[in-house]
Amino acid sequence: MKKLISLLLVLATLLSFAACGRTDKPEQTVPPTTGATVPVTEETVPEPTVAPSHYPVTVTDHAGREVVIEEEPQRLVSGYYISTSLLIALDLDEKLVGIEAKANKRAIYKLAAPALIDLPSVGTAKEFDLEGCAALEPDLVILPIKLKSAVETLEGLGIDVLLVSPEDQELLTGMIHMIADATNTGERAAQLLDFTATQERYLSETLAGSATPSVYLAGNSSLLSTAGNAMYQSDMIRLAGGVNVAAQIEDTYWVEIDYEQLLTWDPDHIILASDATYTVEDVLADPNLAGCTAVVNGNVHQLPNKAEAWDSPVPSGILGALWLANVLHDDLLTDADCAAKIDGYYETFYDFTYSEN
Amino acid sequence: MIALAVASSFVGKYPLSVDKLLAGDALQWRVFLTLRLSRTVVGVIGGAALGVAGLVYQTVFRNPLASPDIIGVSSGASAGAAAGILFLSGATAVTVSAFAGALLAVIFALALSGLDRSGRNSTIVLAGIAVHSLAQTVLMCLKLTADPERELASIEYWIMGSLNGISVYSIGGNLILCVLGMIALFLLQRQVVLLSAEEGEARMLGVDVGRLRLAVLLIATLVVSAVVSLTGLISFVGLLAPHGARLLTKHDRIGTMLLSGFLGGILLCGADILARTVAATELPVSIFTSILGAPFLIFLIVRGRRQL
Repeated sequence: MKKLISLLLVLATLLSFAACGRTDKPEQTVPPTTGATVPVTEETVPEPTVAPSHYPVTVTDHAGREVVIEEEPQRLVSGYYISTSLLIALDLDEKLVGIEAKANKRAIYKLAAPALIDLPSVGTAKEFDLEGCAALEPDLVILPIKLKSAVETLEGLGIDVLLVSPEDQELLTGMIHMIADATNTGERAAQLLDFTATQERYLSETLAGSATPSVYLAGNSSLLSTAGNAMYQSDMIRLAGGVNVAAQIEDTYWVEIDYEQLLTWDPDHIILASDATYTVEDVLADPNLAGCTAVVNGNVHQLPNKAEAWDSPVPSGILGALWLANVLHDDLLTDADCAAKIDGYYETFYDFTYSEN
Repeated sequence: MIALAVASSFVGKYPLSVDKLLAGDALQWRVFLTLRLSRTVVGVIGGAALGVAGLVYQTVFRNPLASPDIIGVSSGASAGAAAGILFLSGATAVTVSAFAGALLAVIFALALSGLDRSGRNSTIVLAGIAVHSLAQTVLMCLKLTADPERELASIEYWIMGSLNGISVYSIGGNLILCVLGMIALFLLQRQVVLLSAEEGEARMLGVDVGRLRLAVLLIATLVVSAVVSLTGLISFVGLLAPHGARLLTKHDRIGTMLLSGFLGGILLCGADILARTVAATELPVSIFTSILGAPFLIFLIVRGRRQL
C-alpha cells in the first residue's frame, strides 16, 4: 500500500510537472501570427514556484536540547522501539539503517516492516553500542533519554541526536511532532495525530452518560503490580469509560499491592497488560481471588499483543482504549466497530490488515 | 511478639472487623485465614528462622558479621529466582527455583571448601565468596537478557523482598522445612557451640568437626532457603537478631538461640506491618528491616569501640 501511494505520488508529481510544462510554453512564447517569432518579454515570465526549503530546521528534544538539522536525514538509527514504530508509521522505515536490540521480538516489525529485523542492532538502553551506531554513519539518531550520555560522543562525530521520553500521551505527541519536524514528514504525522484525536472524540461521544465500571489493570511482571493515576494506562481506562481502582495511587511507575488491597477494591473487571507473564486462566483459577467480582463474573481479559502493547505509550495507544471500551461497553461499541477501526489504523499507517494476521 | 502477631493479624488493606468475623461473614473469614494469618505466620516463623540461622552462621564462622550470604545462599537464591522468572511460569516455580539456587550455591561452596583438606573455616568463607561472585555473575547475565518492562522489574522486586504475595496456598512446604530445621538446630545447639571453639580444641573434645559443620551449615541453609525462596531477600534480620540476643542474654547459649529467633520474628513481623501500612502501596520489607537494622549495627560498632 505504501509503495502504491509512493508510486501515485510520483505519478502525480510527474503529471504536475507535465501540466506546468503545458502552461509555461504559451507564456514563454507568443504563438506566431505573422510568421515572426516574438521575443518573450520579462513581464511574461512567471516567477519560479520553488517551495521554501524545510531545512535547516531546529527541533527541541525531550532533554530540552535544541538540535539544528541542516539537511533532510537519509540514514536513520532508532534505539527505542517506540520511535522505531513511529518511523514505520511515518513511512520512514526504508531510511532506517540500525535499530534497538531484540527487534525480532517486536510483532509490529514482523507485520509491517520485516526488513527491520535484519538491520544491525545498536543495543539497548542498558547496553548501547556506541561504536556500532557510529559505524552505520547515520545522519540522525533517535535514542531514549536514558542514553543521554551517548549524545556528546555522537555529536562529536557530526551525527545529530534526538533524545525522546514518550512516557505519557502529551510527551508522545511531542515526540511525533519532533521527529516529523526533523524528518520533514509533518503531513503524515498530522494524519496520525488526527486519527487519535478523532477516536478520542468518538469514545467521548459514544460513551457519554454510560455507566463507569471499575477496572484493575494488572502489570506485565505480576498480577499484584498495577498502574496509578499518574500513569498512561490510567488515561486509557478513563478514555474507555472505566474507573481505575488504583487511581488513588500517585506513583509514576508500576507499584506492588497485595491480595487484600485487590479484594478491597473488588473491581468489576481485571485487565492484564499486553505482555503479562501470566494468563487469564491463572487469574481465574487463583484461589486468593475467589470472592472478587471480576473473577466471579469471568470479567478477566488480557490486552491484545498481536501487534503492539497498546497499554504503553506507542503511536497506536488509542487502540487500547478502543479495545477496552469494547470490553467494558460491548452494547455501545461492538466487536465489528472496534475491529474496523483497528484495521483502518494499521492499513493506513502500517500497510497490513490486523484482523487477517 | 504476641502483640505484634495480633497487630499483624488485624492490620492490612482489607477492612477486617471482629464484628463481621464473629457474624460469620464468609469473605472476611477467607481473607483472614488465607491471606492475613498466613502472612503473620510467615513474618513470625520466617523471621525466627532467619534469626536462628544467623546465630548459627556467626557461631560456626566465629565471625560477628557472618550471614547467610557468607556462603552464597542469598546470591544463589537470587540467581535461582531470576532463572525461574525468565524461564519458568508461576509464583510456585519461582519459589522452587530460588530454593534450588540457594541450595546449589551452598553445595558448591562446601564442595569447593572440601578441596582443602585442612578443613579451616576460612576456606569455607573463601569458597563462599567465590560462589557468591559466581552467582552474582549469573544473576547479572540473566538480568541482561531480561525484558526491562516485565522480567527485569520482577527480578528487582524479588530481590528487594516482600511478603505481599503470601497466602495459605503457597507456604506449606516452606514453613514445615523452617520449623523442622529450627528444631534440628536447637537439638544441635551444644554441638554448634563446640564448633565455635578452636578447631584442635573441638577435636580433643571428640567432635568430628568436618561432618558436624557440614550438617549444621546445611540445615541452617535449608532454613534460610525456605524463607527467602518464599519472600525474596530479607536484609539484616539474620545479622541483627543474634547480636541483640547476645546483648540481652550474655552467656546463656540456649537462651541466646531462643531469643535470636524471637527477635528475628519481631523484626520481620514489625517490618512487614510497616511495609504494608505506611504507603498506599506495598513497600519492600527489606527497606524496613534495613532501617531498623542499620542504626543498630552502627550502635554495636560504637559500643564496641567505647569498650576498647
